[in-house]
Amino acid sequence: MQPADRRHQQVLEFAPHPETRRQWFAQLWSYRSVLDILARRDFQTRYKRASLGVIWAVAVPLLQAAVMAFVFSHVLRVGSGQRFAVYVMSGVVAYTYFSTVVQAGSTAIVDGAGLTDKVWFPRALLVIVPALSSLVGFVVTLVVVVAITPVFGVSLGPRLLLLIPATALLFAFSLGVSLVLGALHVYFRDVRFLVLAALTILIYLAPIVYPQTQLHRFGPWLDFNPLTGIVVLFHMSTVGSGGPWVRAVVVSVCATAVLLLAGTEAQRRHDRLFVDLL
Amino acid sequence: MTAAIELDGVGKRYWQLSQQAMLLKSLLPFSRPTKTERWAVRNLTASIEVGETVGILGRNGAGKTTLLRMLAGVSRPTEGRIRIRGQVAPLISMGVGFHQEMSGRENVYVNGMLLGLSQAEITRRFDQIVEFAELADFIDTPVKFYSSGMYMRLGFAVAAHVDPDVLLVDEVLAVGDVAFQLKCIDRMRRLQQEGATIVVVSHSMHAVRLLCPRALLIRRGELVFDGDSETAISKHHELLTLDAAELATAAGDESNRTGDVTILSRELRGPNGPTHHPDQDEVLTYVVALRFERPVESPQMVFQVVTDVGILAYSMQTTLGRSWRRFEAGETVQTEIVFRPRLGGGTFRLVLVVTDRSGNSVLCRDADGFLMYTAPRLGTAGIAELEATIAVGEHDMTDHDSLLLASAGPGRAGDRDGAGSDPLADGNDIGAQPAWVVEPGERPEGHPWRDVGVDRPLRPGLDNPEPSAPGELLHIPLVEPET
Repeated sequence: MQPADRRHQQVLEFAPHPETRRQWFAQLWSYRSVLDILARRDFQTRYKRASLGVIWAVAVPLLQAAVMAFVFSHVLRVGSGQRFAVYVMSGVVAYTYFSTVVQAGSTAIVDGAGLTDKVWFPRALLVIVPALSSLVGFVVTLVVVVAITPVFGVSLGPRLLLLIPATALLFAFSLGVSLVLGALHVYFRDVRFLVLAALTILIYLAPIVYPQTQLHRFGPWLDFNPLTGIVVLFHMSTVGSGGPWVRAVVVSVCATAVLLLAGTEAQRRHDRLFVDLL
Repeated sequence: MTAAIELDGVGKRYWQLSQQAMLLKSLLPFSRPTKTERWAVRNLTASIEVGETVGILGRNGAGKTTLLRMLAGVSRPTEGRIRIRGQVAPLISMGVGFHQEMSGRENVYVNGMLLGLSQAEITRRFDQIVEFAELADFIDTPVKFYSSGMYMRLGFAVAAHVDPDVLLVDEVLAVGDVAFQLKCIDRMRRLQQEGATIVVVSHSMHAVRLLCPRALLIRRGELVFDGDSETAISKHHELLTLDAAELATAAGDESNRTGDVTILSRELRGPNGPTHHPDQDEVLTYVVALRFERPVESPQMVFQVVTDVGILAYSMQTTLGRSWRRFEAGETVQTEIVFRPRLGGGTFRLVLVVTDRSGNSVLCRDADGFLMYTAPRLGTAGIAELEATIAVGEHDMTDHDSLLLASAGPGRAGDRDGAGSDPLADGNDIGAQPAWVVEPGERPEGHPWRDVGVDRPLRPGLDNPEPSAPGELLHIPLVEPET
């Protein structure tokens, strides 16, 4: 009865203004167990009815990365050598995570309408779920990529530790973009398609399938794409640094901070209004 | 006493956009979609004490669901303030947000957690919930394979086992089979006894009457009555008929003329004159005046009684394919339907359909119809009044007073003592003999129904073959005699 008492004594107040930032984050925190169960279910249900199950979570991005690596290093020959194959693979794996999360996250609130128009919980949970549940597949894929790296003649080193901040930044950036787009999508349904269009272009606006130097004097401009910094971190940890990286990473970190701030703000202010438009 | 729910000048405004906002358009400076504001709820102030059960009445679009959504915290009020004490468990229409791909078991957990239980608490109640929902065999099946009834049962079971302080119920009692409805009502009674505050939104006056001593009546987003539910229900019905009448006048005779037949007026006459609230045993005459807009040969009539949720309670039609008379364009005629509303409690719509001779093409369907409200006999529910009695062993358990309450019509006095006399003896063949009326001079020679109804003993008001005073009318029952 003790844990129940707390909820029996709460007094909820609904007024025209949104909750304060502190209240909103406190609520978000109190729903962490729901987030946990939703993310688990999301991951399980996605692969539950497939015979290979969770293997798909790794196989698909891996295949994607392998094909891209092969095409760009052996067919188009933008880069050369076996190092380049690892370079492409690590970038593509990161990008695949980003693209999966943003696609699912930006539409999560609208797609989850059935789950949300009756009981209230912070809508942001729905956006966070794909970012969390895709993380499992991503990490396993990354481990596989790292494991086969020596096959391509690239030696591993302590620089692999960089994968941790790289993954953290990738997660935070993907989440920030999802939070902003997720809120926007409720009001403008074009967002779903804009995201699809942008994702097909964005992969070429970051040094993923070609070396940044390949663009000659346009190369440095890629640094202003926040994805560049993230991808550069991944490259640094797998194949080693290839050039200047500070500016790109700073841009990424700043962009991530701004997006997270804007995203949580948008979610907080519109949380209890979304339902009116679903 | 402390208030469980306080509403203080609560309002919710929606913008009605002429079209869905689009990203590109909203970026262009001069092409903003025109929007009109619409207050779904306005100026609502009320206070509900801890342990009270309150019904919310109002027609569709009155703002009931909006209010419930605000109470659930899903939607934020545009103005005013809502305070709710304790744990809220909303139960709004079909199930509380289930995840289609997940099994019933997983949904119980997710749902329970969304309603504020911890995983351990759910585990403790799990068997109870499953047993209540009667879903033991299907609990590991994904809910997308559930029937709507199963879905609903699981939804109710979870919400009812959260031990909420405030339970919000919306139209749940309209779904599911009767046995489960009774179970839900039972469970809600128990929650009531345990001191929960319950807010019930329902179109079923029956459910409101059964559960709620008090009701709020909302009309066009505003609170028009707050008090005992009997008064609220009758006021609600008054407003329903009022709005229907308003609608009919607004539509006007002119716009009604689209069809081949125009309905000019409708009236329901009881023994004491025009009525909207007949008793179940009264002999009623539904009088519809209509005008033919083009020549029609031998039109046929269908009389229907439809419940407030659109279920056909009764339909009766004239024999198709008979030739009897031709009506010229512009000719007006009065149709009289005599019947007894042996219906359960509720709002019913009387609908008249005019078809051509074959019945294949509908000339006019009076879809708005006439709204009528019958009070239920105590302890009954459903759309039919079968005047059942229950005896257990030798013991007659029927509440004969309630039998009489609803059926204080003529010729029933002998039943007052209950025991011994069969309450159905007098009533079982009366109500099924509607009649309609044509002017006597117009009756074609050799009309097949000419002699119908005179070979049986006459009953006042039904088989009266005497022309009644105004208009020189003659009743011709539409049912053919057995040969």
